[in-house]
Amino acid sequence: MLLILLLLEVIVRVFHLYTEDPPRFIDAYGVEKRVPDHSGYAVTGNRNQNFSEFHINKAGFNSYREFTPSADKFELALVGDSFIEGFHQDVSNSIGKQIENQTEGIEVYEYGYAGYDFANQMHLVHAYKNDFQLIDQIILYLNYDNDLKRGVYKPNKDRIQMLSSTLFKIRDNIKLLAYGSKIGIIEPLKKLAQRGVAFNDTEEGYRTNELTLDSEDEELKRDQKRIANFKSLIHLYGFDKSKTTLLLDRRKTSKRFLDFCRNNGIRYIDFSSSFENSKRPTTLIYDHHWNAHGRALIAKEIADYVKETQKH
Amino acid sequence: MLFNSLDFLIFLPVVFVLYWFVFKKSLKAQNILVIAASYVFYGWWDWRFLILIFFSTVLDFFVGQQIFKNQDNKQRAKYWLWVSVAFNLGLLGFFKYYNFFVDSFIEAVSALGYNIKSVWTLRIILPVGISFYTFQTMSYSFDIYYKKLEPTKNFISFAAFVAFFPQLVAGPIERASNLLKQINTRRSFKYEQASSGLKLILWGFFKKLVIADSLAPIVDDIFTNYTDYPASTLILGVSLFSFQVYGDFSGYTDIAIGTAKLFGVELMSNFKFPNFSRNIAEYWQRWHISLSTWFRHYLYIPMGGSRVSKLKSLRNIAVIFLVSGLWHGANWTFVFWGGIHALLYMPVFLMGRNRIYADNVIAERTWLPSITEIFQVLLTFILVTFSRIFFRSPTLSSSFDFIERIGSNFYYEPYMHPMGYRMFDFYLLIALFTFYEYLIRRDERNPFKFKSPVVRFLLYTLVVLSILLFYDDGVNRSFIYFQF
Repeated sequence: MLLILLLLEVIVRVFHLYTEDPPRFIDAYGVEKRVPDHSGYAVTGNRNQNFSEFHINKAGFNSYREFTPSADKFELALVGDSFIEGFHQDVSNSIGKQIENQTEGIEVYEYGYAGYDFANQMHLVHAYKNDFQLIDQIILYLNYDNDLKRGVYKPNKDRIQMLSSTLFKIRDNIKLLAYGSKIGIIEPLKKLAQRGVAFNDTEEGYRTNELTLDSEDEELKRDQKRIANFKSLIHLYGFDKSKTTLLLDRRKTSKRFLDFCRNNGIRYIDFSSSFENSKRPTTLIYDHHWNAHGRALIAKEIADYVKETQKH
Repeated sequence: MLFNSLDFLIFLPVVFVLYWFVFKKSLKAQNILVIAASYVFYGWWDWRFLILIFFSTVLDFFVGQQIFKNQDNKQRAKYWLWVSVAFNLGLLGFFKYYNFFVDSFIEAVSALGYNIKSVWTLRIILPVGISFYTFQTMSYSFDIYYKKLEPTKNFISFAAFVAFFPQLVAGPIERASNLLKQINTRRSFKYEQASSGLKLILWGFFKKLVIADSLAPIVDDIFTNYTDYPASTLILGVSLFSFQVYGDFSGYTDIAIGTAKLFGVELMSNFKFPNFSRNIAEYWQRWHISLSTWFRHYLYIPMGGSRVSKLKSLRNIAVIFLVSGLWHGANWTFVFWGGIHALLYMPVFLMGRNRIYADNVIAERTWLPSITEIFQVLLTFILVTFSRIFFRSPTLSSSFDFIERIGSNFYYEPYMHPMGYRMFDFYLLIALFTFYEYLIRRDERNPFKFKSPVVRFLLYTLVVLSILLFYDDGVNRSFIYFQF
């Protein structure tokens, strides 16, 4: 049995079936990011269905280039979560690289990190204000449902601690286990653990994922809360409307929030129509992230927007 | 409880340890443990239906003794046999067929112009495995009636025989002469038997998790959206369904037989590589053997079997296939499926070729099959697969529509997996699986019977690796035959 497991470990390593999650840390500015200078491969799907190379640069983000902003170049910062971090496409063909290919004389700095919400993004822009002052345009990717749940930034130390715990280190070093964990084969064990929790905390243990329809009042309250969070963050960190733009999907964003942006001169790029009109799928089928085609559409939307703003 | 669940993964070792370490010294204690474990195993799904198993057990235990007591009085013995048959078929009739017959009656009456509202249909849950354990207990009464068996006086043994958890919900449908005899006998732990059981369990998991579960989303997609697809995709769908249902049911059987071996019990074989059958008769000697032999012993032979006129024999064949179809489900699609098999079987019977492959396998003495054998196997597979359109479709009209579309939309278009996976992986999987089954075609109870330990080691690794590669967290993992 042990020999079988050893051979499986070798096979999983040789065929690189497992995915790599470059280590994370919180820097001196309280910014969550990846440990610099790491390269590897991210895998999605149980038979190496999506295989892509990543490279964590010196700034701690997945990018083929280093971030060296200066006054004599035109730079664009693309800030966001795993969708921007883009472990689902080779780093050499990232959204940033595609924007650079379509827009002459531009350098794109991709500040993507899985789990970033709007508070993370605002904190990052503020923490690295020396760099961002030199950057000419900033695009913040906003997933309305997930990214505006808090109005104050606090680094997620618990997550970093959890990921650097012995249990997770074992998981990451035994590639067979990392692979099994990724494809959900140890999911029943997790469920069992949750059932264990249920004995102590029935409410938590038996919580279901049932879709509940928001009543209008609840929706209003939720929007008010999110808009308040947004206001709180831009009030705290500042928001340079002249060079900052949101990237969002109108279909998944509340009308109230869009009205708020319009009324307050906050610009946004809405990529919903290009996704809607696309005849090919825009997301990976194994998870909900944008696939290569979806990412090409996003790059085109941003490149067109940049070219348009450069005209004015 | 599903074999392929974490619950079972915990349940099995616990019962195993209690069985061999705690209750080792007493056969009675071991059998009580088997009953308790079996009731937990079944009750995990719905404990309320345990009462049916218990009643069936009590009644057939009592009836068996009455039949035996009245052996000299044929009439009274027959009367008691009918009590068993009526009770068990009554259970089946109520829980499985009641709505089917009521609906069919209403439809028939409506066709004659009378309008009856369907007020008689009830919301009944079909108890898992009811078709299996009722047939098993009936076989006990039949065997006593036909003087092939003496009834047991030990109720605990009999209850363990009825509820033996490895085969309780989806067979093999055991005869008392095999299973009850073992339950009445003191078992001892044999390493060889347990090891062979574990190997069968591994192979069963491979067939279920890798073959059946990975094909399920494709088959579901094609049968649900068959109106959108060309003939090439429909043919692909039903062909893959053939592999899915085989992987699912034979995988379950392998796990059942393997699990029984862990407890020192040998269950009968239920599948002997039916995909290599050279005619439809051989197919039925290799597919769901416990059910086909049940019908043979308790329906076909009592009706005269083949020892009557040709015409009556054909009638008997038609009856067992139609009843076998109905056994699978309360739907005309299953009856039609049975009817197709009857029609395919009859010419083979009339040509006297129904037993010629009973004792041998394809390429019996050679490495490769002859051209004739390849042709025969392909033809049998195509015919069986065609019949499965009825087996898989929800209604007769959709079955006919499916077939009609194969004719009318006769063109090829590459099929894209509904979840985006590479279809090539699945084609390769099926090809390798079929090739491997061909290699082991002589012994269905030893899937890893290779002399070299290195080869065996590589095979175990490959099987576990395949499970890892094809495991899909999102697939519904229930067994198809549970619904029957």
